Amino acid sequence: MSESAPIPIGSLVPLTGASSADGIEFRNGLTLASEEINAAGGILGRPVAPVFVDTGRQNAEAVVAGAQVLIHLHRAHAIICGYNIGPQNSEYEPIADAGILYIHHNTLLQHHDTITSNPDRYFGCFMSDPAEYWYGQGFIKFISWLRETGQWRPASNRIAIISGSAPYSIVIANAMATAAPQFGWEVCCGPKVVRTPRTDWSQALSLIRESRPNVIANTHFFAGDLAAFHQQFMRAPVPALVYLQYGAMHAAFTAATGRSAEGIIVGTVVGLLPDAIGNAFAHRYRARFGASSTPSVGAQTYVALHHYAIAAALEGGTAPPGHFEQNRRVAARLRRTIYRSVVGTIQYDVATQSAIPYPNVVGDPSLGMPHLFFQIQDHTADQILIAPDPYRTGAFRLPSWMS
Amino acid sequence: MSLPPAPARSSPLDLDAIWEALQSAHFGLAVFASDRRLIAANGRLKALFDRASKTLSPGEALDAFLLALARTHEAVVETKPQRWAADLAAALWHEEAREVAMADGRVLEFLPSRDEVGRLVLSVQDITRLKRGERALQAAKDLAETANLTKSRFLRAANHDLRQPLATLKILIYTCLSLSDEAARREALHAMDVSVEVMEDLIRALLHIGQLDAGNIVPRKTTFPAATLLDRLRIQFEPLARDKGLILDVLPCALPIVTDKALLERVLANLVANAITYTPVGRVTVACVGDGTHCRIEVRDTGPGIAPDEQERIFEEFYRVGRAEDGQRKRLGLGLSIAKRISELAGHPILLESRLGEGSTFSIQVPLGDVWQSEVAETEISEMLAGQFAGLPVLVIEDDADLRRVLTGLLQRWGMEVTACARLAEVEAAIESGALEPLLVLSDYRLSGDERGTEVCARLRAHLGADLPCVIVTADADPESHARIRDLGFPVLTKPISPPGLRVLMHRLLYETTEMLPAEPQSHQGGE
Repeated sequence: MSESAPIPIGSLVPLTGASSADGIEFRNGLTLASEEINAAGGILGRPVAPVFVDTGRQNAEAVVAGAQVLIHLHRAHAIICGYNIGPQNSEYEPIADAGILYIHHNTLLQHHDTITSNPDRYFGCFMSDPAEYWYGQGFIKFISWLRETGQWRPASNRIAIISGSAPYSIVIANAMATAAPQFGWEVCCGPKVVRTPRTDWSQALSLIRESRPNVIANTHFFAGDLAAFHQQFMRAPVPALVYLQYGAMHAAFTAATGRSAEGIIVGTVVGLLPDAIGNAFAHRYRARFGASSTPSVGAQTYVALHHYAIAAALEGGTAPPGHFEQNRRVAARLRRTIYRSVVGTIQYDVATQSAIPYPNVVGDPSLGMPHLFFQIQDHTADQILIAPDPYRTGAFRLPSWMS
Repeated sequence: MSLPPAPARSSPLDLDAIWEALQSAHFGLAVFASDRRLIAANGRLKALFDRASKTLSPGEALDAFLLALARTHEAVVETKPQRWAADLAAALWHEEAREVAMADGRVLEFLPSRDEVGRLVLSVQDITRLKRGERALQAAKDLAETANLTKSRFLRAANHDLRQPLATLKILIYTCLSLSDEAARREALHAMDVSVEVMEDLIRALLHIGQLDAGNIVPRKTTFPAATLLDRLRIQFEPLARDKGLILDVLPCALPIVTDKALLERVLANLVANAITYTPVGRVTVACVGDGTHCRIEVRDTGPGIAPDEQERIFEEFYRVGRAEDGQRKRLGLGLSIAKRISELAGHPILLESRLGEGSTFSIQVPLGDVWQSEVAETEISEMLAGQFAGLPVLVIEDDADLRRVLTGLLQRWGMEVTACARLAEVEAAIESGALEPLLVLSDYRLSGDERGTEVCARLRAHLGADLPCVIVTADADPESHARIRDLGFPVLTKPISPPGLRVLMHRLLYETTEMLPAEPQSHQGGE
C-alpha cells in the first residue's frame, strides 16, 4: 500500500428503514469530517476515504454482515458509526477478530459489560457517547432541578414511564424507575414496555391517564412514532410534563406535530451545542448538505472521525485489519486524548471505553459530554437548550396544556 | 588554675596533670570546701553557665553561685530566688542529686558527693538529650494509653450501635418464621437485608471513626438526595418502633444535601434510636426543612422531654437520663455521645430543643447541594442495575455443573434472577414449591438419564403456560437435529453460546413477541 493511498474508513449506517433519516445524517457527518481532514492534508499525508454499508433494519444479521464486508472487502482501518439498535454487540466479534478500531454511538449499557468482560479482546471498541442509562438518571435529576430551583412547582410527585421494546428504551425506563424514588418521585405507571415500532398508543395512553401523573416519559425514540404519541396525547391532555426520548429532536417530529409540540421536553446525551463552535459547524454542515439537513445528528460521526484522526496521527498513522500492535497504540491514544468537540468534551472512561457524561458523573463541563435538555418553545424555530449550565440558552416554560 | 596543696600520699600522683585533664571532661566539676566556698572548678563547668559563671571563682560561696543562677534567670525558677537557691544548696550539701531546668531549654543534672572531711565534689552535666528522650518516651506512653482508652471506648460504641440493627434483625427473623404470605415474607427479607447492610455500613463507619481518632482521614463530603438516607432509616427502625407501639414517621424529602453520608447516617440513626428508646407512647418523626441554603433534619419525639439541666449532660458518655422506664433494657448511654462526636467530625453540631412534658427535637443542619451533582445509591452502573433483562426470572436447566455455573454467572451479570437446575426432578420440585415462575427457560438438550430438554420444556409449558419462552441449547451442530427441535416449537442455540446471540434471542422472545408487559424494576435497588 502506497504511503499516500487513501485510508478506508468504514461506516455501518441505516440508509433505509425506520432510522434512515438518522442514517443519512451519519453519512453526512462522516463525509464532512473526511473532507475537512483531507483538505488539511489527511492523516499524516494520507487522505481518508469513507465507505458506507446500509444496515437497513439494523438487526444483528445485517450489521454483522456489513462489518464483515468492511473488514474483508474494503480492508477498513476503522469503522465509525452513529447507532445500530439491533445487533446487541454481535458486530464486536468480527471487529475484535480483525483488531481494528470501532467507534459508535449505540448508547448502550451493554457496551460496558462487553468491554469489561474482556478488555484485551475488545481494545478497539469505543462508544463515543455515554450509555443510555444516563438518560434515565439524568432525566430524574433534570425534573428534580426544575422543582428545587422553583422553575416548576409540580402538583404531585407522580411519574408515568412508558418504554419502547428496544433494549435502549427499556434500560432508560429502568434507570428512571431506579432513580425516581431517590429524588422523591413516585412511579405511578410503569415502566411499561410496548412493542415498537407503533403508531397506536391508545392503550398506553389510557394507562397513563388513569395513573394521574405529573410527569410522562416516553423512552421510545422513533420520531414518527413519538409524533403519533403526542398527537394522541393532545386529544385529551393531562396536566403533566411530557418528555420524549431523542426522536423529538428531529425536524420531522415538529413538522408532524406543529404548534402542539410547544412545551415538550427532549433530551440527548450526545447533541450539538448551540455555542459559537457548534453554530459554526451547523453552518458548514447546512451549507454542504442543505438547509433541511440535521447537523445535530451528523455531528456524531463528524466528531468521532476527527477524534480518531488526531489519535492516529499522534501514534504514527492508521493500520488495516490484522495489524493489532499499531491499532492498539491508536486505541490507547484515543483513550487518553480528551477532545473538545462540537458536542462537548469526549473523555473516555478507561474501564468501559465510553464517553463520560456531564453533569451526571463529572461536575466539570470541560471533562464530560453534556446531557442536554431542550424544550420545543416555538415549533418554527430551533429548540431551546434549558439545561445544563453553562451551555443553556434559555429558561423552561410551562407547556400550554399545563397552564 | 592550680589546685591547693594536696595532702601527702604514698603514691606520687601528678595532680596538676590530672586536674588539667579534667578541664576537658564532658562534665562540669567543682570542689567546695567544708565552709561551702569554692576551691576549684573546671572549664567545662564554667562553660555550662552564662553570667552566673562569674561566681565560679575560688573563694566564692556555693549559695552565691546558685543565687546568681536564679537571679540572672539562667535557671527556671518558680519560687523566690533566695528560697530556690537555699533549697538547692541544702539539697546538694546533703548529697541529693537535682535536675535544674535552664531557661534556654537545657536540663542540667547536679550530682553532689561529700568526702570524709566535708568537702563537696559537685559534677554537673547536660542531660537535655536524655530528658528529651524520656519525654518522648513518656509522650508515646501517654499516647498509647490514650489509644488504649480510645480503643476501649470505640469497642463499647461498636457494641452499642450494632445492637440496633441486630435487634431489628431478631424481630424480623421471628416475624418471618410465622409469615405464610409470600409478599410479606419478601418484604421482611428485604428489611433483613437492609439491617445487615446497616451493620456492614456501621462497622465501616466505626472503623472510620477509629481512623479519625488517629487523625488519618477527614470526612468525605458528597452531594446526595436526603431521600436515599431517610429511606434506610425508615426501613431500619420501623420494626423497632412498631414493636414498641410507636409510629415512626419519616417524611419524604428529596433535597440534595452535602455532607459525609455515612457519618450523617450514624448521627441520625443514633438520634432515632434514642428517640424510640425514650418515648413511651406516641410517635417519632423525622423531617427535613429547607431554607434555600441549608436543610435542617429534625428528629422529633413525643417523649417526656429533657430537663434544662440535663440537656448538655445527655451528650456525655455513659450518661443516662434517670427517667428511663422500669424494665427497660439497661443502656450504656453512649448513643448521643457517639452522635455528638460524629456530628462534630462531620461539621454539623446537634441542636436540641426540649421541654419537660412536651417532647424533644434533635436537629442537625447540613448545606444544600446541587441536584445535578447528586450521587444516587448505586454509584457503579451496570446491567445488573438497569439492563434490559434486570430483575427478570430465568430458569436454566443444564446437567454439566461447570456450564451451569458459567451460564448462571453470565445471566446474573445481566441482572437476571436465575434458578439453575440439573434435571427434571429438580425442576418439578421447584414448581411444586411454588417458587418457580420463570419468564424464560434456557435448557440443555441432552440431559443426564436420557432426559431431553425439549421434554422438560414441554412439561414446564404444561404447568406454566403454553407461551412460556423456552430456548434449547445443544452442542450438536447437525442442522437436521436443529430442525427437529425447531419443529417442536423451540428456538435453538449452539454451544458454546455466543453472548450477543443469546442477548438477541432473549430480547426477541421477551420483548418482541408480546404486546405489552411490565419491565421489572430491580428488586435489589437501594431504599426500596
